[in-house]
Parts: sequence; structure tokens; C-alpha cells
Amino acid sequence: MSKGDFSALASSIQAVASPFRQYLNDLHERYQGALDGAVADYIPELALADPNWFGICVVTKGGQVFEVGDCDKLFTIQSISKAFVYGLALEDHGRDYVNSKVSVEPTGEAFNAIVLDEATNRPYNPMVNAGAIATADLIKGDSATERLKRMLAMFKRYTGRDLDVNVPVFLSEKATGYRNRAIAYLMLNFGMVTDRVDETLDLYFQQCSIMVNAKDLAMMAATLANGGINPVTGERALDEHYVQDVISVMLTCGMYDYSGEWVYRVGLPAKSGVGGGITALAPGKLGIGTFSPPLDAKGNSYRGIKVCEDLSRDFGLHLFNVAKASHDLDDWLTGSGADSW
Amino acid sequence: MPKVVSIHSYRGGTGKSNFTANLATTLAMQGHRVGVVDTDVPSPGIHNIFSLEPEQAPVTLNSYLWGEAAIEEAAYDVGGAAGIAAAGRLFLVPSSVKADDIARVLKDGYDVKLLNDGFRKLVKALELDYLFIDTHPGLSKETFLSIAISHVLILILRPDKQDYQGTAVTIDIARQLNVRKMLLAINKAYSSLNFDVLKQKVEETYGAPVAGIFPLSEEVVQLASEGVFCTKFPDHPVSQEFSKVAAHITAEG
Repeated sequence: MSKGDFSALASSIQAVASPFRQYLNDLHERYQGALDGAVADYIPELALADPNWFGICVVTKGGQVFEVGDCDKLFTIQSISKAFVYGLALEDHGRDYVNSKVSVEPTGEAFNAIVLDEATNRPYNPMVNAGAIATADLIKGDSATERLKRMLAMFKRYTGRDLDVNVPVFLSEKATGYRNRAIAYLMLNFGMVTDRVDETLDLYFQQCSIMVNAKDLAMMAATLANGGINPVTGERALDEHYVQDVISVMLTCGMYDYSGEWVYRVGLPAKSGVGGGITALAPGKLGIGTFSPPLDAKGNSYRGIKVCEDLSRDFGLHLFNVAKASHDLDDWLTGSGADSW
Repeated sequence: MPKVVSIHSYRGGTGKSNFTANLATTLAMQGHRVGVVDTDVPSPGIHNIFSLEPEQAPVTLNSYLWGEAAIEEAAYDVGGAAGIAAAGRLFLVPSSVKADDIARVLKDGYDVKLLNDGFRKLVKALELDYLFIDTHPGLSKETFLSIAISHVLILILRPDKQDYQGTAVTIDIARQLNVRKMLLAINKAYSSLNFDVLKQKVEETYGAPVAGIFPLSEEVVQLASEGVFCTKFPDHPVSQEFSKVAAHITAEG
């Protein structure tokens, strides 16, 4: 056994024995029995989800991975994709141009509201459907295929693995997406999107139908928390200058019309999706990925919110927290000092 | 706070299981709630000392690791057999002695996370003050895990060259795994040796305290052939030595 083999084994054993892993186990156990919320059913594929599925994954800035429950179970990324595609649009066009097409103002309206800023005709922010469709329109590429490939390559840089589009979900979204089509044509009417509307809508439905798991969501969040570099692969996923843009809109607009209360109670940049996923990050510290299909009335994963609330409170992860937390993150990660027995 | 105590030796035949049984019993006699898990899956043995016959223990650690039972279902009250008057103080989770079961674990292995979760569930379910982990000799994933989660690691060695070297390797690894507290116990020491000199020499060599020295004694071997020695002969010097080791474990820090 070489020195390298020993450190790898020691580090994997330390992750198993880490009090933080035990903390996550307890959290999982605490909320597994919570039966509030309902699985999304606006398309048949989503309604097939088992309400008991529940995974919590945390990836630290140093690349340590903690998984509890259903962390490999695949589901559709849905609205979580919006934050990351926004980052790609910023790389493609720069901040000023993107800002001229999509504002960054929280709406307080539901995610699928048909509403544009009256003065500028811009959608309010990239996290509502209107803004996300306008953002997808900005993704460069000579063909529909190339634009999709660029998106998938971008997600791969965040997750460290190849991702696929779930075709039945995509077709189902496309077949029933009248409201999104209406939003897109309204924006075309105002000249806020280009006339390749159908291609962009397809791209938007495809980006929402990408299959991810809780571990992917944690890795994506950890990548943002780590300044745009995937902490496990070391690959850059987003230009460091745009990391703060992306996480700012996640903080103010990421949780639909629950965003204000979310900032108050949890204080972490996050994005949720109706597939049951939430990605959240503590900048400079860690990324959180949760998966649990039952949604609350605002369309956020019920258990996912509970998990983020507890993690934020116990480890003092709220962005504006200045009080000493009951649990010191470093101690709990390394096991030094913390006793979880 | 419950405390986890791992008992380990680099080589076999150091008297590890006997030591574990006596130390666990000593703490149980003091009124603590104590659990012992036999993680020596390839060569289980400690159940013999507690007179727990395989027929009396159909559910084992193996059953838990294969998802067939909760770990607390594999815990048996062995206080009576150990000679403790009060019930519900001393529990043993045995490993299976069936050849097929041992072969299955060796062939398929198991998820070391599961073992860690099992320890924690057991401590909660039985409200244990002390959990003893009896390990397989040598180094393995289970050894690493038990070292990493222990509040106290006790390394048993015999005073000979092979044990000296092996113990040095184990101590090096334990330090790299940030072990919280490490104690040495010397077993089967020749009565002709000067124990004070031996203690000093071993402590200097390893930089860790020697909590107890146990003589190689035919009398003890004969007396200890069945049952737990320290309850049968509480006034014997060997039993007193176990009390000294127990005091190291119950001490704060």
C-alpha cells in the first residue's frame, strides 16, 4: 500500500465516520416521514414520481462528497436549469447585453406569469419562465443541435458527468406548453427574442428535461461555491466574473414567489425545480443538492426546504449570519472536536 | 455522551476477545450500560466467553449487514452469563459462526457505512454508555473505521518483536486517522519480567500510555477457560488490573 493509497482509504473512511455524515443521516431520518406537499402532475411523467424518494447530498469546496438516501435517482432538472443557462448566456454575450434582454428584478408573481416590465418590455428575471425563455434565446449556436450540445457540455462541466435529455418528458412539455409558447410570442411581439421562437422553445423544453440526481445538484452548487470550478474534477464551468451574477439572481429570485421568505429564513442562493430538486450553496464553503418530489403550494420541494433550513441554522450558513452557530462546520466535517454520539 | 471503545491487536492470539469481554464486564458491573459488537466477522469468538451458543443467537451482525434485521435485534443480554446480577446492562452482538455466512461476507464484502450506522443505531436503541468494538486482527476497512470513530482505542500487544513492529504500524495509522485517545495493554507478559521497567520501555517506544499489564499465567488460563474471569474472581490481581484499565476509559477527556 503506497502512501497515496493509504490517504485515499483514510479519507474515504473519515468521510464515512465524519460527524457531518451522521448529521445528514439524522436529517434524512427526521424528514423522511414528512408527508406534506404533493407531487407535480401538470405532465404525466412527473406524476409518476414516488413521494417517498428522498436524497440529500452535500459537496464541500474541498471536494468531499456526503450522500444520504436517494442521491443517484434521476429526475428532470426543470427550473434549476435556468440559473446555469443564465451563466452560459452571460459568457456568450457579456453582462450589459444580457441585462438589456432580461432584468434581474424579483417579481413576487408565480413562475409562469405572463408579465413583462412595462417600461422596457424585458422579462423580470431569468428565473421566471419568460426570463428563462429569453435567456435560452441568447444561447449561441448555428443550429438547434449545436445549441443543445453547448448546453449539455456546460452542465457536464458542472456535474463532471454526461447528462441526457429525457425525451418523453421533453415531448410532453412541448405538447402541453401552450402558456410558454404564448409568453415567447408575446416577447417576439416586443422584439425581446429573435424570430427562431420554435427552436428556442424546443431548447427551453429540452433544458428543463435534462436528467440529474441530487449528487449532480450538490456538485453544481459546490462548483458555484468554489468560484466556478468543479471541486472534484478541477474543471472550470463558469467564468469567475459571472459567478456572482448567477448566485445573486438565485438568491433574490431562485425560489419562485417564496424567494423573499427564503432569503429571510435560509439565506442561501438556491434554485428549485418542480421535479423535486433544490440546489443551494454557501459561497466559499459547500453546495447542497436535495431531491424529494412532493412540492409545497409555491412549487418548492417540501422536504428540500426543511433540509436547507436546518443546515443553514445549525451551521450558521445564512449569508448574513454573524452569530456563532451551534455547529462549527470545519469541526463537523473533519470530526475534530465535534462529538456526534 | 456515550463512548466508543475499540479493541485491536495487529496479530491474532493476543487474547483480544478475552480482554474485551472482561473490560466490558468490569464497566457493566460498575452500573454502566455496555454493548459489545463482534466485528471479527472472519473468525468470531467472543460469544464463547459469554456462553452464548449459536442456537440461542439466530440473528447476528451478519443478518444486519445483509439487511435482514435491525441491529438491536441481534443484541443479546449476556449480563447473566457474565455473572452480573442486574439485568439489561451488558449486551453482545455476535457474528455468525456458520461457514456459509462467513464465506458470504468474505466473498461479497459489505458497505462499511452500514457498519458505522449500525453502531450508532445500537447505541441509541439500547441507550448505551459504552460500546466496545472487538475487531479482527490486522488492518482492514473495519479496523480503520473503528479507529476513526472511537473515543478510545486500546491496542493489545505481547512483549515480543513481531507485536512491537505491527503495533508501531497500527499506531502510525491511528495517529493519521486523528484517533482521540489511545491506550496500550500488554498481555501474556512473562512473570519474570519487571513490569515497571516494561511499562516504561513500551511507553517510551510508542509515546502512548500503558493502561494495564497482564501476566502470562497458567492459573489464569485454567480459571478463565469458561465464563468471564473478572466476575468469577473479582479479587484476583488480574481483575484489579482490568479495573485500572476501566478507570482510564471512564476518565474524562
